[in-house]
Amino acid sequence: MKKVALFIPCFVDQLLPEVGLDVVRVLRRIGYDPEFPEEQTCCGQPAFNTGYWQDARPLAERFVRIFRKADAVVCPSGSCTSMVRLFYPDILAGTALCEEARMLGQRVFEFSEFLVKVAHVTDVGAAFPRRVAVHDSCHGLRELHLKQEPRELLRHVRGLELVDLPFSEECCGFGGTFAVKFNVISGAMGATKAGNAEASRTEFLTATDPSCLMHIEGVLRRRNSKVRTIYLASILAQTDESGRTAQPGDSR
Amino acid sequence: MARTENSGRERILARIRSGLLTPVVAHTPDLSSGSARPMVFAPIPDALERFQRECAENNTECIVTPDAKGSAEIVAGVLAALPVGEIFVQDAPELRRLAQAWSPSRAIRWSNEGAPAETSQATITLAECLVAQTGSIFVSSKCGGRGASVVAPVHIVVANVGQLVPDLETAFARLRERGTASHNSFVCLITGSSRTSDIEKILVLGAHGPCRLVTVLALHSANESGGGPAKA
Amino acid sequence: MSTASREFLRNAAEKSADLVHRQIIRRAIDHYNQAVERRRARFLDWQEARRRCQEIKREAVIHLDRYLLEFERRVQERGGQVFWAETSEDARQYITDLASRRGVRTIVKSKSMVTEEIHLTPALEKLGLRVYETDLGEFIVQLRNEPPYHIVTPAMHLTRAQVASLFREKLGDVISDDPQYLVGVARRELRHAFFSAEMGITGANFLVADSGMIAITTNEGNGRLCTTLPRIHVAVAGIEKIIPRLENLALLWPVLATAGTGQPVTCYNTLIGGPRKTDEVDGPEEFHMVLLDNGRSELLADREQREVLHCIRCGSCLNACPVFRTVGGHTYGTTYPGPIGSVLTPHLRGLNEFQHMSYASSLCGACTDVCPVKIELHHHLLQNRRNAVNDAKRPLVERATFKLWRWAMLNAGIYALSGWFARAAMRIVHAVRIEGTPLDPMRLWTKYHALPSVPAKSFREIWRKNRGAN
Repeated sequence: MKKVALFIPCFVDQLLPEVGLDVVRVLRRIGYDPEFPEEQTCCGQPAFNTGYWQDARPLAERFVRIFRKADAVVCPSGSCTSMVRLFYPDILAGTALCEEARMLGQRVFEFSEFLVKVAHVTDVGAAFPRRVAVHDSCHGLRELHLKQEPRELLRHVRGLELVDLPFSEECCGFGGTFAVKFNVISGAMGATKAGNAEASRTEFLTATDPSCLMHIEGVLRRRNSKVRTIYLASILAQTDESGRTAQPGDSR
Repeated sequence: MARTENSGRERILARIRSGLLTPVVAHTPDLSSGSARPMVFAPIPDALERFQRECAENNTECIVTPDAKGSAEIVAGVLAALPVGEIFVQDAPELRRLAQAWSPSRAIRWSNEGAPAETSQATITLAECLVAQTGSIFVSSKCGGRGASVVAPVHIVVANVGQLVPDLETAFARLRERGTASHNSFVCLITGSSRTSDIEKILVLGAHGPCRLVTVLALHSANESGGGPAKA
Repeated sequence: MSTASREFLRNAAEKSADLVHRQIIRRAIDHYNQAVERRRARFLDWQEARRRCQEIKREAVIHLDRYLLEFERRVQERGGQVFWAETSEDARQYITDLASRRGVRTIVKSKSMVTEEIHLTPALEKLGLRVYETDLGEFIVQLRNEPPYHIVTPAMHLTRAQVASLFREKLGDVISDDPQYLVGVARRELRHAFFSAEMGITGANFLVADSGMIAITTNEGNGRLCTTLPRIHVAVAGIEKIIPRLENLALLWPVLATAGTGQPVTCYNTLIGGPRKTDEVDGPEEFHMVLLDNGRSELLADREQREVLHCIRCGSCLNACPVFRTVGGHTYGTTYPGPIGSVLTPHLRGLNEFQHMSYASSLCGACTDVCPVKIELHHHLLQNRRNAVNDAKRPLVERATFKLWRWAMLNAGIYALSGWFARAAMRIVHAVRIEGTPLDPMRLWTKYHALPSVPAKSFREIWRKNRGAN
């Protein structure tokens, strides 16, 4: 069994543990042995995004020390992955850990990125006979250049109908502290995203960032919408109705 | 204004120079000059075809004629359909010759007599060159002045195929060879008739400039050298 | 919180709730996006085009002093005059003095964001001069007495019906709201102004160093008339508008049009080099070039953000921005709205007063994606935020919160305990039903979101128990 380290974002750890558990389920199913270094807390993104780079720096250093020995780190969040890969070198510029951070960043992967580009798996033996649309989370799309990866994985899910989301690349409006500081704008952007989801007649909306989904879910529930959000790994963790877990590569 | 009255000049330059001493962070790596660079625009094999196609898209009427005589007839036809009123024509030998084909009752002001009148019905000029890539025309002050291509509701350009170049890059090279920029205080790339989409993003043709741009393009010119600059 | 910040929040709230306004903007931008996609397809390699434009601007800015001096010399050789304005005040002073000395009574203006930046029109009007905005969008907002909504399409927030009733009110008999008809009304109204004005004022999209010419990109022909008919032409531009060579325009013109309006090129790309030459048929007798600094030279020294000076003012970042699409251009309350405005304004007008602009973004990066000269706009927003923190301009409560947060995050035990407390608090809020009330500590969130169900155990608690085994 190949080992991977789990980088579970703080808000997933505390508010969306199912996201982490589903990541573990899928990784195990495709032959990986996930480890969760319990010392981890937060990658520092909230502070960094608000301009408190000095306060994010010790967290970055801490992260590097915790994960330095891992061959690969998997993270169910495009934004947290971007933080480590793109911005840690900036925050740690001029420090002793900078180069190590840069190299570690090359080994930290967003979940769908890991499956498709590192594990080279697109069929994880999942079944989810529903209509699903993909929202392209901004960090995953623009910083990690993820677009096809979640779709490839979903295309191999038995029974799943992939629906086109109009304006899928438009920001949902979460943006971290933006959702609180400028909640009016954030709420309006969320409403636009919810409206697009409803117009697409999808049943579920998924994404590479559970933070987006948390925000959109809150907006959808407030509107009593029929659409529900579900994180990508939670779809992939579903197996067929008989309860039998399909093996990767099973023919249909 | 004497330079001594502009003390800000030295201070601005000083700040620029000191600001430029700061080494900047280069985020995107520069391409090595050795490697072959991708082309930005596709090559244009048939310039005339492209020019005509672009004109159709940008609402320039492009009429191809066999020669100067054919062009004269076309221009006469366009003028005949216009309301009564003065037309303004660039004073150039080619246009003097062309004018013989027009109705004598049409009042003409030549560019050597002054600028076009506010009530001109049409202006007629030559061009510096034509650009196939965008279906455009380069004009300069020598083409009857600045107002000649903008003041009247109809602007007619008399040109020949020897003046047609494939793209903007070639056009600029040609203008550079001729010193067009140095010899003129005004050069303009005209692409279609004036327009605006300022209301609801809906395209309206004919704003403050002409609502019609007519390019009369002769396949063979009288002088075989291929269309040099028009002398006003 | 600064006054500008308070204004911004108030306007944002109003506009976010205005669904009609949002729909109008949406429609306009969707139309624009379709056009842009068609025009980008005319490029064999749009990314290469962006790289080359970036290189042109980088070359221009790295040698800014040299190219400005070359430009100045050539303009003067052509008989033009060049004035270097350090501040808005200097620029206004020069132009108002000139107008006074020359007995100017009527001015026709072509669209120029930099003249908005220096608040030129009010200064001229104070002298009793009649100033006509001749760009249709600018003409419309001038009649409404409001600032331009967008740096390229100033009136995109209005419907044809609104324009028709505006014209009816201000100009007289208007019988239709058909855009073609309305354009005709504006043309008739302004024609007299063009032919009688003594001074034409324009901006410049590019200042061409090797020819001493300015390049003006327009569609309507108003810029042409402003630089043909009046006897004095005044052009105003930021010092960063310099480009090295005329040939650069072979790429910049199509790129600017593609990004700015979704056209292959605009109708008129005009090059003006000084006043008319003695043997020319027409044209102004005088040409004055006003080069504006107003904080730009300081930006040169910013090692991260010098590239912000590469901006060609195409407006595509505004159109790409989901925040702009939600709140619209007027909400920002500044000359330059949208992403470029949010990056630039704190530099030009002060971080203290305008840092909020850099915070009013979800950092989605769409702006960076579309910028034709590859400015990393959203990263510059982050840098502005960091500068605000480092310059101690953030509220005390926020600074204290992050110090506390950092302390908690550096210790896994404290972090876990804090998380446990937070979840417990959320459960209580939900249980006692104060969600959404003034007592709700999470009301900033619950105002627009239903609160999620709070898990009993965190991931790490579950993992510690059974390593997530099913």
